[in-house]
Amino acid sequence: MKKHPMLKYLKEEGPLGQRMPLILCPGCGSGQILNYTLHAVDRIMNKDKIRKENFLFISGVGCSARLTSHYLNFDSAWTIHGRTLAIATGSLLANPAFKIIVFTGDGDTGSIGGNHFIHACRRNIDVTILCINNGVYGMTGGQVAPTTSVGTITTTTPYGNIEEAFDLCKLAETAGASYVARWTTAHPHQVIKSIMKGLRKKGTAFIEILSQCPVHNKLSPVTMLKKLKESTIQISKEKESSEGETLIGEFCDLDKPEWNESYQKLIDQFDHEEGKS
Amino acid sequence: MNKLWIDERYCKGCLICVDVCPAKAIKASKEINDWGYILPTEDDMNGCKACGLCELMCPDFAIAIEEVDE
Amino acid sequence: MSKEMKANNTNKRLHNVHLLKPGEYYLQGSQACIEGAIMAGCRVYGGYPITPASEIMEYASRRLPQVGGRFIQMEDEIASASLLIGASWGGAKALTATSSPGFSLMQEAISIAIMSETPMVIIDVQRPGPGQGYITASQEDVMQARWGHHGEGSIIALAPSSVQEMFDMTIEAFNLSEQWRTPVLVMAEEPVAHMRERLLIPPWNEIEIIDRKKPQDLGIMPENYLPWGHDIVAPMANWGEGYSVNFVGLVHLEDGNITKYGPQMHYDCIERLFRKIEGNVNEIARIETKFLEGCKNLVICYGCVARTAIEAVIEARKEGGLDVGYLRLITLWPFPQERLRDIVGNVNTIFVPEMNLGMMKHPITEALRDRFKKIVSIPSLGVLHSPEYILSKIYEEIR
Repeated sequence: MKKHPMLKYLKEEGPLGQRMPLILCPGCGSGQILNYTLHAVDRIMNKDKIRKENFLFISGVGCSARLTSHYLNFDSAWTIHGRTLAIATGSLLANPAFKIIVFTGDGDTGSIGGNHFIHACRRNIDVTILCINNGVYGMTGGQVAPTTSVGTITTTTPYGNIEEAFDLCKLAETAGASYVARWTTAHPHQVIKSIMKGLRKKGTAFIEILSQCPVHNKLSPVTMLKKLKESTIQISKEKESSEGETLIGEFCDLDKPEWNESYQKLIDQFDHEEGKS
Repeated sequence: MNKLWIDERYCKGCLICVDVCPAKAIKASKEINDWGYILPTEDDMNGCKACGLCELMCPDFAIAIEEVDE
Repeated sequence: MSKEMKANNTNKRLHNVHLLKPGEYYLQGSQACIEGAIMAGCRVYGGYPITPASEIMEYASRRLPQVGGRFIQMEDEIASASLLIGASWGGAKALTATSSPGFSLMQEAISIAIMSETPMVIIDVQRPGPGQGYITASQEDVMQARWGHHGEGSIIALAPSSVQEMFDMTIEAFNLSEQWRTPVLVMAEEPVAHMRERLLIPPWNEIEIIDRKKPQDLGIMPENYLPWGHDIVAPMANWGEGYSVNFVGLVHLEDGNITKYGPQMHYDCIERLFRKIEGNVNEIARIETKFLEGCKNLVICYGCVARTAIEAVIEARKEGGLDVGYLRLITLWPFPQERLRDIVGNVNTIFVPEMNLGMMKHPITEALRDRFKKIVSIPSLGVLHSPEYILSKIYEEIR
């Protein structure tokens, strides 16, 4: 039996029992994003010679967060709703060498985690944020999210959503993130390249990935992937857009001082020769 | 001819692999397993070039292509 | 650990040129607290301004880069408490300080720290509530300290009453948090944080510093490592050490598995958390007593109220000729029920002066239920009791 090449990065079993299969629904985009992330991490480990113990995966709560619940053969954290970026900041303060990937959802980033999101981008801390945006609160049963478009029927908008949706990428860019990109689960190679760029970049990399939730949309995964591809357009081709497609691509890619780099200068102004007891 | 491996412990029958394969080398099988899933299976594997797209797009790490040198 | 992880680890050895050398100092309680923290090895601080705790944060912002640590002012208290979790698992000793409204915001993070057994220290410079609260003296969070976090499990809370204790007990808080793998609260009040007193720093080799047990030191390899197993207090492998630790914040098996759920697994997981602290109360909790032997009445107090209560007790014995004993709870939680029952004999009246309407009076009543005829709360809201006030209440009752 030949196994999937990325299974070496997952814990199929732990000392006290079976952990896989993934708890996600059939065809869930989150599983695909985990696959792309592991491909990106695999390439970074091989090309840039970075060791496995440097990587840290942090997630909050929701379908996106289940990716770290107990599957990863890396250091990982399944934490509290919305606070992933504060926790990531703490880890970076303890050790700036961590390569942190944050799995978060549209609610985890844009709703309860909103404050931490904008400040993490403002500080430009060295994290790669993968925002798995499925336009709904999946884990809790399909409630409206800050990224749900106007008019959508959800379990808490039974008469249609009356609120405008956030553009999380615009939010990240305005708040000060160094690298901002949006793709979909139907663009695997672009997602992998962006994640690699994010990991290599010193600063906040925000990568929004539009993802399918087949259960709450009551469509097959294959249909939803097709829709994701058809309803999005690359920013270079924006002028050809006529039906209000969502823009995808890299929105910004800047070199800015990263938080720990700036703070190190404060530490370095003091002499730290070890004294004798 | 390359060989397709489906891990029945993990596959949830989403059939994304069937759709993305550029060589149309995978098809949905005619059986429903104990979980209620319709698993994919080999169709005409002659066209399979081990491009890896099925492995890349699988949400459950349940598929692998074994390259067989002829 | 990889080379670059090791080189960047914020943990610095204890003896550093910028730590305070042994000797006498005249410092504010807030400053003594930070000096104690960095002496204990704390190198990460994340906080949010709130009166009357802001001085702690301001002093930390100045001292931490001097000792090679890192300081950050976060966007709110929730972020500050969450930051401690990330920093602790990242390998550092981490601290924050807040006041009562901020303390309420931190409860979810404290809850997950209890569940995941994360060592961290939170200073709560209490202020009166409820609501926005006033900015003066208070002990109104002492129940919130134990029960504020959602869910079961237990926690350690200390009550310093002087600048010296702000130094000593912050070190003790870090030691307890590392030894028992739990968040530890230092329940200070505004007077103790703002007063300036003499601080004595002993020779460094006389200061005990405890660090978390590591699986590497016990010869446990990554493939056999159970992040919440091996012992009632599990050895803690941090992120970045090659142990692939999957941190989870809900009921789990000892290896972190969250799939194999069942009522017995749930009970075993939570009961161990509870027993880890409550079952070791005799080792953790500290009490101070004076004039206890055979006394007919007793004053039980904690925090800075103890400073004025002891004056009242001494005066009541000298001038009033009353046989009053004094007992100070240094550790509020876990509450040392059995120890109290061991050392307190039958008394007529127990007085509990508190800067609240009578909170610690309840566990005291439960512990000494058959040892007293009457228990009397002496509340004072928003202002520290004066010795005369406590004395007048004692005289009112028993003279």
